[in-house]
Amino acid sequence: MTTPHPTLRPPSPITPASPPSPPSPSSQYRITAPRILRSEWHKLHSLRSTWITVVSAVVMVLGVGLIMGGTYTSGGGDSDVDTIVLTLYGSMLGQLCLIVLGILMTAGEYATGMIRSSLTAVPTRLPVLWAKAAVFAATVFTVMFATALITFAAAQAFLHDTDQAASFTDPGILRALAGNAGALTLLGLIALGLGALLRSVPGAIGAFIGGVMILPEILGMLPYDAVERAIMYFPTQAAGALGSATPIPGTVSPGPALLALFLWAGTTLAAAALALNRRDV
Amino acid sequence: MIKAHGLTKRYGDRTVVQDLEFTVRPGTVTGFLGPNGAGKSTTMRMLLGLDAPTRGNSTVNGRSYATHPAPLTQVGALLEARSVHPGRSALNHLMALAHTHGIPRRRVEEVIDLAGLTDAAHRRVKGFSLGMGQRLGVAAALLGDPATVILDEPVNGLDPEGVLWIRTLLTSLAAEGRTVLVSSHLMSEMALTADHLIVIGRGRLLADTTVDELIRSAGGASVKVVTPQPDELAARLKDPGVTITEAPAHELRIRGVDAAHIGGVAAAHAITLHELTPQTVSLEQAFMDLTQESVDHRPQQRTPATPTPSPLTGAAA
Repeated sequence: MTTPHPTLRPPSPITPASPPSPPSPSSQYRITAPRILRSEWHKLHSLRSTWITVVSAVVMVLGVGLIMGGTYTSGGGDSDVDTIVLTLYGSMLGQLCLIVLGILMTAGEYATGMIRSSLTAVPTRLPVLWAKAAVFAATVFTVMFATALITFAAAQAFLHDTDQAASFTDPGILRALAGNAGALTLLGLIALGLGALLRSVPGAIGAFIGGVMILPEILGMLPYDAVERAIMYFPTQAAGALGSATPIPGTVSPGPALLALFLWAGTTLAAAALALNRRDV
Repeated sequence: MIKAHGLTKRYGDRTVVQDLEFTVRPGTVTGFLGPNGAGKSTTMRMLLGLDAPTRGNSTVNGRSYATHPAPLTQVGALLEARSVHPGRSALNHLMALAHTHGIPRRRVEEVIDLAGLTDAAHRRVKGFSLGMGQRLGVAAALLGDPATVILDEPVNGLDPEGVLWIRTLLTSLAAEGRTVLVSSHLMSEMALTADHLIVIGRGRLLADTTVDELIRSAGGASVKVVTPQPDELAARLKDPGVTITEAPAHELRIRGVDAAHIGGVAAAHAITLHELTPQTVSLEQAFMDLTQESVDHRPQQRTPATPTPSPLTGAAA
């Protein structure tokens, strides 16, 4: 680590601008909810890792969508696949990038010590978690919905004369495109909550992959109907149901799927909030 | 003004801070002193609401830190270790904190200049030296122009220029009427900057006093005299307020009178003096005597507690 340091300016004495006698704190400085949101937004866009993960997610979805569209032949093995599921197949990969982003937003602050600065600035703590969740949700939903729309339009350029031809106005298409973005957002919020709860980036990534992605697959092998029905409401299964224009056999309908995902994300964030309030930093 | 009432922190059955009771007043630099592991950092984290006390409470300017509507304007804190994301630039780090309170970019640039980081403001913190990291921490602490400043080991890792900068800064902050609490495990550093001292060891309050008083209570000043006529000089100085201890090689240790008086008495009675040296207990020694019971890890052999002349006391007074 021998990076050349720029010559430091000779330190100036204490601000000549500040009042000499007991300083009266400027009264217009105050914590407000919009200001915390703005702070979290600033934190998000000022990190390179944010740009890397978000751009990767977009490239995965768009790239895989173009490949699927370009290589599709009518009557092939994929004819019975839902158009949106086929087009947005890259979401599976994009999802991983967004999960990492969600975890970095919370657990990353613990790993670097930034959390001490954040919670000293906002000592009531919980608004920081809510602001992180809100900024993450708004950013990811906007970017991934736009990506889904563009990917669909681009893929249809190849698919318009096949049996997968569809338009935005066809029933279920827009809902599934939005559902895909919504599902990615809510899965990311679960990851963000896990990051806040576990305070470790590798720990939270492990917990998400093990608990959210792999566990339902293992449980699904159990020969019980009740378990099979319950698994339909698990996050990744519900997310799959949300991102399809036509009902997929063995999944719940979009309404309950959305509700289930909201509950998963809400529960995880509530647990994170409880821990944030109780534990020392 | 910082007040701690019966502040106690326990981790399992290990008590890190016990029944701390102190007040830090505005307008002076208060040194928070203790050996490593004495509980200084834990206490400071409790003042900022980062750690919840097991028992007791603390207030800053009349209320607990977390209940202030604009905490950064009440307390500016530099905590131990780094509390910064290394991937962000110094400017972005400070802007993120400033946004929470609606502090304008103008003020952010002001504290960057103040900390001497103008040229490094746009560089990622990752490449900062330890000293630059400390400067960024100080810049963050001053962001809200706070009435109270809490700095945990601010001179750690600073070069001599940086150390001098911190000393000047602390003194001028106090001169502006602010409350300044600064922790250190180095007595010599505190002697140069602090007026008041809060000394803790193993989480307990050992002293809440001024620098001068600490020296006085630690044995005060004595005068070393070497003379071929020790008995005669001792007899001439005999007085209820004076204690004289005889050491080998014609040496006397005299307490209760100053060197000028001893010299005068010796001259008046034609007693030859080979040496006449005022001795003060060094602050370092006073500190070690005070905390030796409470040091966690002590080396097997301790140097004998001999008072040594100290150049520090003059500067502290």
